Amino acid sequence: MRELLLEADALVRRFGGLLAVDAVSLGVRRGDIHGLIGPNGAGKTTFLNLIAGVFPVSAGTLRFRGDDITAWSAARRARAGVRRTFQNLKLFPEMTALENVSIGLHASTRAGIFAALARLPGQRREEREIATAAYAALDFVGLAHQAAVVAGTLPYGHRRLLEIARAMVAKPPLLLLDEPAAGLNETEAANLSALILRIRDEGSTIVLVEHHMDVVMAVCDTITVLNHGRKLAEGEPAAIQADPAVIEAYLGQGEASIGEAADAHA
Amino acid sequence: MSAPPLASVTAPPAMASRVATAVVLVALLALPFFQPHQFVLHMLALVAISATVALGLQLLLGFSGQLSIGQAAFYGIGAYTSALLTTKLGVPFLGALFAAGIVAAVTSLLMVPITRLTGAYLAVATLGFSILVYLFIKNEEWLTGGSFGFMGIPRASVFGTVLRNPGHAYLLCVVVAALVYFALAQLQRSRFGRAINAIRQNEDAARASGIPVTLLKSQCFVIAAFVAGLAGSLYAHQVRYLAPNDFTFWKSIEILIMVVIGGMGSLFGAVLGAAVVVLLPEVLREIGDYRMLVFGAVLMAVMLFGEAGVAGFLSAIGRRLGRALRSSGGDGGATQASAARKDRARA
Repeated sequence: MRELLLEADALVRRFGGLLAVDAVSLGVRRGDIHGLIGPNGAGKTTFLNLIAGVFPVSAGTLRFRGDDITAWSAARRARAGVRRTFQNLKLFPEMTALENVSIGLHASTRAGIFAALARLPGQRREEREIATAAYAALDFVGLAHQAAVVAGTLPYGHRRLLEIARAMVAKPPLLLLDEPAAGLNETEAANLSALILRIRDEGSTIVLVEHHMDVVMAVCDTITVLNHGRKLAEGEPAAIQADPAVIEAYLGQGEASIGEAADAHA
Repeated sequence: MSAPPLASVTAPPAMASRVATAVVLVALLALPFFQPHQFVLHMLALVAISATVALGLQLLLGFSGQLSIGQAAFYGIGAYTSALLTTKLGVPFLGALFAAGIVAAVTSLLMVPITRLTGAYLAVATLGFSILVYLFIKNEEWLTGGSFGFMGIPRASVFGTVLRNPGHAYLLCVVVAALVYFALAQLQRSRFGRAINAIRQNEDAARASGIPVTLLKSQCFVIAAFVAGLAGSLYAHQVRYLAPNDFTFWKSIEILIMVVIGGMGSLFGAVLGAAVVVLLPEVLREIGDYRMLVFGAVLMAVMLFGEAGVAGFLSAIGRRLGRALRSSGGDGGATQASAARKDRARA
C-alpha cells in the first residue's frame, strides 16, 4: 500500500445554512489519479477549493505530506506543491502563453527587485531557465507553437491546455484539475486523457473533478463519489460504475449507466 | 508540427520603441545647448518632475492594478523632507534627495494594512491618507511653516557645485526621471514585473501559483512612494518655495490623470501624460478662465478615443506607418512575438 499524499479528515464546509461539504474523509495515494465525481451541486468543486485553500474549512483537518495544512493560505499551499486549474478558466489574458506558464514558476525561483534592477548574472540565468522550463511545459501540452500568442486570443481548447501547463510546470507533487474536459469535443477529451496520464507519469499525483465519464473512467485509479456534500462511494472505476447507490444518485432510478447520466449533466 | 525555437518567443521589446525612447532622451538632454528661454526650461523641468511621480503611479496602477489617489502625500513628504534636511540640518542636496525617497517609502509602510483593499475602497483609503498628510503640512507650522509656506530652500547642488544655471537644474530633473524610467522598465521585464502584472489580471490565479499577493502589492506601494519622494525633493529645489496647497488631493488626481490619459501600463505613456497635464494649461493660458474648461474637454476626448491613451494612439500610428513602409518595401518579417507585444501597447 502506497503512502497517502493527502489526507482529508471529516472536512466540513458551510455556506450560511447550506452544508456544501458534510464531514468528507478522503485519502489520496501518492502517484494516483483520484477522481471526484457526483451530480451537480454534490460539493466536488467546494471540496477541491478546500484542498486548494480558497476558503477555510468549517471543521476537519487536512494533511499534505504529513503536514497539517488546514490553516495554510492558498498561496502557501501552492508554494508547498499543491497546484490547480479552475473550472472557469483563470488565465492572465493580456500575457503571452509563455508568460502565463512562467508565472507557474514564480514560487520556485528567487530573483527579487534589487536583482532585477542590477541585472545580476544570477537573475539573467534564472530568467533563461524560467523561459526554457515554461517553453518545455508548453511543448508538453502541445502548445509550443502558440508560445508568443496573447492568452486571451487563444481558442478555448488551447486556453484549457495553457492553464494545465501553468499548473504543472513546477512539477507539483499534487495537481488539482477542476473539470478540465468541460467544453472539449470528443477528440480533445481523448487527448486530454492521454495528457493527464503523462502528467502523472512525470511524478504528479492528481485529483480530478470531472463530469466527462470517458475521461474519468480512462484515467482514474480510484474514484470517490460525492452526493449532497457526503461521500457516497469509493473504489476502482469498474466497481463504481456497477454500484447501485451511485447509479441511483445520478438518475434517481437504477436504469441507465452513470456515463449516460453524467453526459446528460454536462 | 514543428515548434519555433525559444529565442524567437522571448525576443526583447520591439526595436522601434527602443530607438524612439533613445531619440527622445537624447533630444531632451541636448535641449539646453540650444539655449531656450529660461521659462521653457523651468516648465520642462516641472514636466520631468511630474513624469517621475507619474512613473511611480504607473507601476502601482498600470502594472499591479492598485488605484491610489494618494500619491501627492508621498510627493509632499519628499518635498518637505528635502527642504527641512537642506535648510535646517545642512544636508547636501543629493543626500536629501535620497532621504526624501526613503522617508516617503517608510511612510508608505503605513499603507500595508490597506493593500488588502481593492478598487474604489483602496482609492478612498489612499485619498484619506492624502488628506491627512495635507492637514499635517498645513497645521504643523513649527515644522513645515504651515500655510505661510516654506521659504529659503537652496538650489540643488551636485557634489558641492550649485546648479545656478536653469539648464543644469533642468538636466538634473531629466536625468532623475530617466533613471526612474529605465529602472521601472527593468522591473517590468523581470520576475517581479511579471508577478505584479499577474496579480492585476487575475488575483486568484496568481495566488494559486504561489505568488505572495499582499507582499508584492505592498512592495509596489513602497516603490511608488520612494519615486514620489524623489520627485518631491526635485520639486522643492526647483521651485524653492513650498506651500500646503501644492499637495492637496487635487495634486493626487492630477497624477492619476497623467497615468490614465498617457496610457495605463505604458511607462512612455506616463511621461506623455505628465507633459500634457503640465503644459496644456500653460499653452491655454491666453484664453484665461476657459482653459480648465478646454482642459477637461481634452481629457474627455482622449478617454473617448481609446483606453490606451496618448501612448496607445501613438503606437497605433507607428504600427500603421510600419505596415505602410513594409508593404511598399517588400516583405516585413515581423515575428509573431513582436506583433503580440506591440498589441499590448507597451511602449
